[in-house]
Amino acid sequence: MLIQLLNGLVYGGLLYVLSVGLVLIFGLRRVVNFAHGSLYMLGAYIGYTVASLGGFWLGLVVSVFALTVLGALLDRFVFRPLQDEDPIVTMLVTFGLLLVLEDAVRTVWGKDFLTMAPPPSLSGVLLLTGTNFPVYRLAVIGIAILVAIGLSLWLRLSRVGLYVRASSVDPVTTGMQGVDTERLSATVVAIGAGLAGLSGTISAPLVALAPSMGGSILIDSFVVVVTGGLGSFTGAFIAAMLIGQVHNWGVVFVPSAAPMIPLVLMVLVLIWRPSGLVRAGA
Amino acid sequence: MSIKRGVFPIVLLAIAIAGGVLPTLVGSALLLTLLTQAVINAILASGVGFLVRQNGLVSFGHAGFFGLGAYIVALSATYHVMPIGFALALAILAPALLALLLGLAILRLVGVAFSMLTLAVAQAFYELVLHWRELANGDDGIAAELPPRILGLDLAMFQQPGSMFLICWAMLILLLFGLRLLVESPFGTLTLAIRENEERARFIGFETIVPRAIVYAISAAIAALAGVLFTLYNGFVTPNVLYWSLSGEALVMAVIGGTRAVWGPALGAVIFFLFKDAAGDLTEHWPAIIGGTLIVVTVLLPRGVSGTITMLLERLGARAP
Repeated sequence: MLIQLLNGLVYGGLLYVLSVGLVLIFGLRRVVNFAHGSLYMLGAYIGYTVASLGGFWLGLVVSVFALTVLGALLDRFVFRPLQDEDPIVTMLVTFGLLLVLEDAVRTVWGKDFLTMAPPPSLSGVLLLTGTNFPVYRLAVIGIAILVAIGLSLWLRLSRVGLYVRASSVDPVTTGMQGVDTERLSATVVAIGAGLAGLSGTISAPLVALAPSMGGSILIDSFVVVVTGGLGSFTGAFIAAMLIGQVHNWGVVFVPSAAPMIPLVLMVLVLIWRPSGLVRAGA
Repeated sequence: MSIKRGVFPIVLLAIAIAGGVLPTLVGSALLLTLLTQAVINAILASGVGFLVRQNGLVSFGHAGFFGLGAYIVALSATYHVMPIGFALALAILAPALLALLLGLAILRLVGVAFSMLTLAVAQAFYELVLHWRELANGDDGIAAELPPRILGLDLAMFQQPGSMFLICWAMLILLLFGLRLLVESPFGTLTLAIRENEERARFIGFETIVPRAIVYAISAAIAALAGVLFTLYNGFVTPNVLYWSLSGEALVMAVIGGTRAVWGPALGAVIFFLFKDAAGDLTEHWPAIIGGTLIVVTVLLPRGVSGTITMLLERLGARAP
């Protein structure tokens, strides 16, 4: 029972780290990055390759850094030139990017499953209520909690965080107050992509790496973002934890229908509250 | 904006006849196979384009409805649960009903969220078929045990490229004609009004969710029709029919063709398939090509080919005395 609850927290944590990146990007650019799952996948693969050369922690650092850079490029060459267009245009372009990145990863790393070991320092198990639970999974929960705390402190207490929150409510007015929203957006998209890389790398020892791995988590993260209330950080956290549990119990009890359960939950939430659990900006 | 009203049926009829004699002119079976696939995809793309045109919404998940239609035919034929006629009807109606109910729930959201969820729903069906191996062999796909006669026609009629091309072609022409009628009906005008300004449409007394859900359902039914034709033609279905690269392909076709005219996406599909044929050896990297084309066309050709043609025709018309 406790074990299942913890497994749900692990998936919820991964989902939160990935989804909050989507929320950040949406807040500043008012678009949804359809290639976000591909960034997650790319993070996992880069982490895998670097980890096999220089150890897990180096892999984690390099992967997050590489994805952060990629995020800045994404903002500069996709989101910024297209900001005056209909959001649909940007979504189509990022969707095209998703297909390109998936194919690129398949070409570079092959389509066979790859597996990655957790770092030696975290590879043990812990006896919890009579069952062995991998320490690494607890570490993943810990990382997700750290990201959540760090991000909230940054958003609540720092000046940049204030700008980010202001822009999420009204980018135009924020710009008129003298905030350089272009630079802010580049920073925020870079952080969002970096978080996708973080999520991908820490999930790599838990799942089998395949070019299609971005797909299933992308749909869950979309469900999280919409269920939580588009653009809401708190909502994303609550929804990620909820979907993490629901997903995990679904896999345990009805494995074949598990992918459908988060969607059903989302539809129910949206019927109850059409704008999601938490209204953005609140 | 509009080519003269009376012209459309005449042009369509001319194109219909031209297509009808095509199989006798085209000797190569390979090319005919390609053209048949192109027409099936043209139907799918028309569904995607219709949604954009009437609702202003982009679906990233029409492969979901396409694949659902394809799988319902394949599974019900294989497990012999119902006569094939019922199965064909169910394969089109069930996805439409699903879209209607789903639409009622998610059309309240802003367009961005709607697009995200269309992708999520289709991908969930993909994962479902992939993981539920007892149902349909997962990744390996399933061969549909189709009966020897379907709706009074021999099965061979559906599986020979020459005759299947004609069946699909007739379906496409009927579909475009039907869509044109629908677009010009009061219902078509109402949905356009809602697309332009949902709030005002509500203020003058119209309910705005249900009409849009109906448009979504119609566009899903069109995609499912394409899926049904796909199974009848190939007799074999794999989870790829639900995968997002197919949704992407349908979008590329609609964007290439342009969605302002109901015939735009179908034209886009034909262009796309000629392009695919020319790409030849590069097809190993097909998803990347689809993705790349989508990016380039979206940015460089926002009106699509049909929009450009219409614009040129209008300029010519304006110059003529």
